[in-house]
Amino acid sequence: MRDPLNIAEEVVNELRKDFDDVIALVSDVNSAMVKFWNTEPSVTQSWLETKVTVYIAKNRKTLYLSLSVSDPEEVVKAVKSSARALEMLEESELYAPLPKPKPWEPLEGLVDKAVVNALNNPKDVAEELVNSALSGGVDRVAGTLTLTHEVKATATSKGFAGREERTAVEAYLRVFKGEMSGHWAYGGRYLDLRKIQEVGEKAAYYATLTSKKADYEPGKYDVVLSPLVVGNLIDYIGFMASAAAVLMGYSMFMKFKVGDTVASDKVTLMDVPRDADLPGSTAFDDEGTPTYDKPIIEKGVLRNLLHNVGTAAKMNASTTGNAGLIFPTPWNLRLSTGGLDEESLAAELGNGIIVNNNWYTRLQNYVEGMFSTVSRDAALLVRNGEIVGHLGRIRIADRFDNLLKNVVDLGKHAYMVKWWEVQTPMKAPYMLVRGLNITKPSV
Amino acid sequence: MVILPVDEDLLRHALNYGLSEGASYVEARYHKNESDELSMRGPKIVGAGTSVVDGVAVRVLVNGSLGFAATNRLTREGVEAAVKAAVVRARSVSTLRKNPIRFSEERLGRASYEVKVKKPFEALSLEDRIKLGKELYDAIVSTPKEVKVPVTMYEVALSKEEKYLLTSDGAEIHSVVPRVSMMLNVVLASPQKGTLQRMLEFGGSGGPEQLEEWRVEDRVTEEVRNLENVLLKGVEPPRESIPVVVGSEIVALIVHESSGHPMEADRILGREAAQAGESFVKPEMVRTYRVGSDHATVVEDPTIPGSSGYYLFDDEGVPARPRYLYKEGLIYEPLHNRHTAAIFGTSSNGAARAMDYRSEPIIRMSNTYFAPGDRSFRELVEDIGLGVYMKSYMEWNIDDNRWNMRYVGLEAYLIKKGELAEPVRNPVLEVTTKGFYSRVSAVGKELRFYPGICGKGEPGQGVPVWFGGPDVRLSSIRLGVIA
Repeated sequence: MRDPLNIAEEVVNELRKDFDDVIALVSDVNSAMVKFWNTEPSVTQSWLETKVTVYIAKNRKTLYLSLSVSDPEEVVKAVKSSARALEMLEESELYAPLPKPKPWEPLEGLVDKAVVNALNNPKDVAEELVNSALSGGVDRVAGTLTLTHEVKATATSKGFAGREERTAVEAYLRVFKGEMSGHWAYGGRYLDLRKIQEVGEKAAYYATLTSKKADYEPGKYDVVLSPLVVGNLIDYIGFMASAAAVLMGYSMFMKFKVGDTVASDKVTLMDVPRDADLPGSTAFDDEGTPTYDKPIIEKGVLRNLLHNVGTAAKMNASTTGNAGLIFPTPWNLRLSTGGLDEESLAAELGNGIIVNNNWYTRLQNYVEGMFSTVSRDAALLVRNGEIVGHLGRIRIADRFDNLLKNVVDLGKHAYMVKWWEVQTPMKAPYMLVRGLNITKPSV
Repeated sequence: MVILPVDEDLLRHALNYGLSEGASYVEARYHKNESDELSMRGPKIVGAGTSVVDGVAVRVLVNGSLGFAATNRLTREGVEAAVKAAVVRARSVSTLRKNPIRFSEERLGRASYEVKVKKPFEALSLEDRIKLGKELYDAIVSTPKEVKVPVTMYEVALSKEEKYLLTSDGAEIHSVVPRVSMMLNVVLASPQKGTLQRMLEFGGSGGPEQLEEWRVEDRVTEEVRNLENVLLKGVEPPRESIPVVVGSEIVALIVHESSGHPMEADRILGREAAQAGESFVKPEMVRTYRVGSDHATVVEDPTIPGSSGYYLFDDEGVPARPRYLYKEGLIYEPLHNRHTAAIFGTSSNGAARAMDYRSEPIIRMSNTYFAPGDRSFRELVEDIGLGVYMKSYMEWNIDDNRWNMRYVGLEAYLIKKGELAEPVRNPVLEVTTKGFYSRVSAVGKELRFYPGICGKGEPGQGVPVWFGGPDVRLSSIRLGVIA
């Protein structure tokens, strides 16, 4: 099999004769996922692939191609065949010439050989994951363990050529004890057995905290959000920080400008592509721009939207190394920590609700940031600093700007989170928010 | 004569190689997804792309353990490597299983079918699509009288899905399904009243002839006109319990979320517990538990011509057929694949679908609809003294057991003395599944369908579906409101 960078460079060298700008993104993937239901593996999935994406531009007209073929000759042939569409196109509103290559510093520590070694025999790690929950006294376990080994290569017609080898581990469990359930997740570059065990232990902790039911009335509550919930909601903030989301009407930041206060001064949200712990880390973006860590929100103030060269040209800014062809995205997100003591969450909350996990976040209006989301595991009612029972499924229905502005404290420790409902790898702590709106069904 | 998109011998080799490596069942599916996409912001292009992704997906049963592998390396060596990975990795974890996985015995299909377009894709050229985007933009921004339109997005895709499936127990299915889809995002803004956002989708299987039925410009300009009225003049809904007429678009989504998903047998059994969740439905509730009134009948049918979820055989080779999910208020027939059918001691009803070659076939909906009744819209509202008609929505969600759900109205009106009156802004229908279906007191006769992409699975698979329904009346309900 040919090396991805070799393929990418050959494709670019052939196509640069015919087009003003060319990018070839090639990756080789070997990935395995063990999925559990009722404490047994339901399926073991594998992907052995070479993925190719090509971008071409001529006379400010642009075209993107995703292909399964990886032989350079076949790629070039497919691109030239599709390139006839360029003649029918008009100039792209988001065209900008590709950047000249700048020196880039490779990231260290992107590969863990233990991940590569476990790909064909994931049993031991999978068993460790499940047993760590069972030893916490739960009835049944569901979840996944995913191991990935990938080589990513990018070449551009401006002469950029970059190659990165990396591994990734994603593990999450949802565990059940009677009517209660708990959930936890880990996403990182390394097969850290202690972190794998922590997934089961923390999920089991929430599933076994109480079996007593409690009830509530809809209204405003002080709420502690776990790193999973914070991860899900902050994922939306990261998406909305993309300049493309702002341009296309999918962002609450349409109403703000850089320098505006958008959150409590406790909140600093960073895009951290250089944090090698997290599986979104990369040294260069899809246009060959070196990546760098940057604040999106710093002490409550909007500091940066995320740009590629096209959105930057449109908005009179500079690329932030977040390409994403067409749509810039955050690589990894890291939220600031604070003084909230995880060992005494209920006491620090006083009266309110602790939410372990959520899903199905949807927006009525992206511009206004109006959203709701539903809890799906432990939602714990706290009275006078004590957990008095679980509430079943509750719904948070509020606005993202209210949420961000009412953050009063954050946990001391940030967890590495990635799972089904948190797609951007993240370091997220617990979060205490005052006066969130909680609703419930009328019948 | 059928021209296969892949060398048949390559797939036959995958079956034989899997069996020789110790698998008791092998399935090999060549799956190709082609798509031409265009995105415009206002009257200008922001992206155009072509995607041609194809590969082979393999599933094996080894020692009672299920293995899946996908590759786009379409050589004998590439496919062998995928089969090997599926077998070796499934075997690796097989000792963690207490109960071996087995599939139900089925009469599997041997067939080839193709959705014929009335107009070829070339009849909607790239130039045509750009022209249409500009015309829609002009129509949208010239419609409101007072509010501004700060942003519009227009996305259109022409796609084709081709599959060729072989299984070691005899299925052989070849299918070709072309589709067209379109999405519009419109933001209306008033300095005094804030903003309002609408996303409008169109889609179905077939060719560009569907655009004539969609009447996109008429639909979107009518909506913009009505939504301007909602933004400028919308009032809060009444706080007391009132009759609510839930519009077809919302009914359609409700049946997808609260009938279709909870009736997926894999969710009922817990296979999706850590991802899309489980279900309030338990196996013993089938044909014994009443979830709604006699008016509540929900049908799931992959065989509707022109639908987004159209297929005649599922991705395990089982023939497709319509099923009653809820029948006259009773929980009736879950959606099955061959694995869940074996556990339930029944036959598969052909609900296994895979998004692409990278995806394992899992239980999915196709086209789900609330069965129509006999009332005209006038008859639904004429005897309501004070009520609300919720016509469209933006925000919605439902809990992971498919019980506690919420839909926030976008275009909505008060009903006063049997007539539609002033617009209502952001009414919230937040109910349980039983709370909704048991309060259905009358059902409209006009069945309308809406396209969507349904998400499920790990890694997530988005498959095209339709959901449908008529307008229905709820006897009495208290609406919420977003202040």
